[in-house]
Amino acid sequence: MNYIATIGEREVKVTVKEIGVARYMVTGAEKEYLVDAHQVQDSVWSILYGTESFEVDVQGRDDEYEVLIGGDCYKFSLMNEQRKALIRAGGKGAAGKALVTSPMPGKVLKLLVAEGEEVQTDQGVIVVEAMKMENELKSAVTGKVKEIFVKEGEVVELGSKLLLVE
Amino acid sequence: MFQKILIANRGEIAVRVARACREMGVRTVAVYSEVDRRALHVRCADEAYLIGPPPASESYLVIDKIIDIAKKSGAEAIHPGYGFLAENPLFAERCEKEKIKLIGPSAHSMRAMGSKTIARKTVQAAGVPVVPGTVEPIATEDEVFRVAGEIGFPVMLKATAGGGGKGMRLVRGEEDLRSSLRMAKSEAKSAFSDDSIYIEKYIENPRHVEIQILGDQHGNYVHLGERECSIQRRHQKVIEESPSVVITPQVRAAMGKVAIDSGRAAKYEGVGTVEFLVDKDINFYFLEMNTRLQVEHPVTEMVTGVDIVKEQIRIAAGEKLSLRQEDVKQTGHAIECRVYAEDPDRNFMPCPGLITSLRTPGGPGVRDDSGVFEGFEIPIYYDPIISKLVAWGKDREEAIARMRRALNEYVVTGVKTTIPFHIRVMNNRHFLEGNFNTNFIDKVFFPEERERELPHFEVAVIAAAIQVYLDERKQAIAGRPAGTGEPASIWKYSSRPGMPKIQ
Repeated sequence: MNYIATIGEREVKVTVKEIGVARYMVTGAEKEYLVDAHQVQDSVWSILYGTESFEVDVQGRDDEYEVLIGGDCYKFSLMNEQRKALIRAGGKGAAGKALVTSPMPGKVLKLLVAEGEEVQTDQGVIVVEAMKMENELKSAVTGKVKEIFVKEGEVVELGSKLLLVE
Repeated sequence: MFQKILIANRGEIAVRVARACREMGVRTVAVYSEVDRRALHVRCADEAYLIGPPPASESYLVIDKIIDIAKKSGAEAIHPGYGFLAENPLFAERCEKEKIKLIGPSAHSMRAMGSKTIARKTVQAAGVPVVPGTVEPIATEDEVFRVAGEIGFPVMLKATAGGGGKGMRLVRGEEDLRSSLRMAKSEAKSAFSDDSIYIEKYIENPRHVEIQILGDQHGNYVHLGERECSIQRRHQKVIEESPSVVITPQVRAAMGKVAIDSGRAAKYEGVGTVEFLVDKDINFYFLEMNTRLQVEHPVTEMVTGVDIVKEQIRIAAGEKLSLRQEDVKQTGHAIECRVYAEDPDRNFMPCPGLITSLRTPGGPGVRDDSGVFEGFEIPIYYDPIISKLVAWGKDREEAIARMRRALNEYVVTGVKTTIPFHIRVMNNRHFLEGNFNTNFIDKVFFPEERERELPHFEVAVIAAAIQVYLDERKQAIAGRPAGTGEPASIWKYSSRPGMPKIQ
């Protein structure tokens, strides 16, 4: 299977071929490697890359990946070739969607705007508190606050819908 | 000696205190909020009592409840840890009134040293050098403008009752003064229920060095040398070490004397820390005194061999100090990294949640003071600290090498932690050279990190590709279309059934 990793403008293509139990032939950047990969602990993999040993924490959601190796974080998007082609052809949904969601579990401390209010890009719209730190979340677009889904004092989960700007 | 001690805290520090008690043969009483029933500090104690709902203001901070449980359980003493009630003179007074021994200084010493403005007055009287600024909390906004104008920008606004970087704002010019004051006050109010603020001249690029002191009830004092705490983020210490590379034996002795003088001036009893700012010419200025056990006390324990918590308990029980100044020797070098549930690759955003797996480091010279375990859900209500990793070596080089090695062994999944950040610092050239000050992280380290080339991009992509490949295969077998839906990852564990959920 062919996969395309995108980091900024750069694209890297890798091919994964399963050749045995936890063993893969991987082609990337014109070289071929024998990779022995075991998921050893939740999101953590032990990878033998040729004979080099790596401990790799792979976390992904919605094609976006964050991979930790030796204290370094690699962020990129990754998907298989067909899916990439499909998205290229169809476009990835309409732009300008501006749902503000909670980036962490926490408590809504303060709403900085009201429904119907005009907001600018990067304007703070809501303050969410977690672990005694106040985090001001900003609007990604300029527009009008269409709907507010939470109240002050409400406890929210990671990814909870907070408000919608249009 | 006490038969039973109540530990009025949670997390790693409650565990640390319980360990000392166990070793001394003292029974321990834990208190816990509704979200902490499964917490490690409850599991480490001999008895445990529920004290209320999750917010600290309704549980760990409620003096009446803590006193009530001390009486009910028959605890003769209370250890407050750090934070929460540790530096609250009202709590100290209440303990005095109820004839329960607070393991810490008297309400009198706490007032003398706990309020930074009073502390400045106390030590100035003893001839200790201080940073220019106000001694009184500032009453009005006009006064803030006037004083800032007098001492000159940049200035620092600080919460009188503060600590840990909360309620603290650096102000570079008059235009930011009003909004910074408002934020500092609001933070101070919510963190300490006291919004009074004082103002200080900001010394550019200082080091932050502190001296650990011990004082018994019989007027004996010793200091255990210094801790270098200049590696800070948002004015919060994140890495500490002992000894400091800039402190010579002469300066150490001078700072030690000043620290003991400060303690004596406040009739201080127990363990305490006198913090100094050190400028580039190694002049030192009194900053504040922390009238509690410090988060970073383990680095001193590692180089002196003194168990500070046990000393603290013995002092509270009325015993004389077990050591004299000439018995105190620093051996080797120790470093501590504070591991927080924060994402260093997303601007240190808090990451409470379930720890889905955990591997803690070990081996020579490594100590992990942790407050969590695999399967524990880190609540949203408290400090993000989950553990303190400490490494000792015969010299600084070995201590750093061990720390780097131990950090690489440390695996936490389910929540993001600051472990990767610490690895990066342990590899930074300036840190290795000992060439840094309190602005190092923001001004030197982060800009250098942005430029740094990461060596293993290919391995990262291949690991992710293999994971996607396997997920797609799994989905294909399950009869679902490939390439859609969530890849198997920690995310799906966050709603694992059967785990307690925060409402």
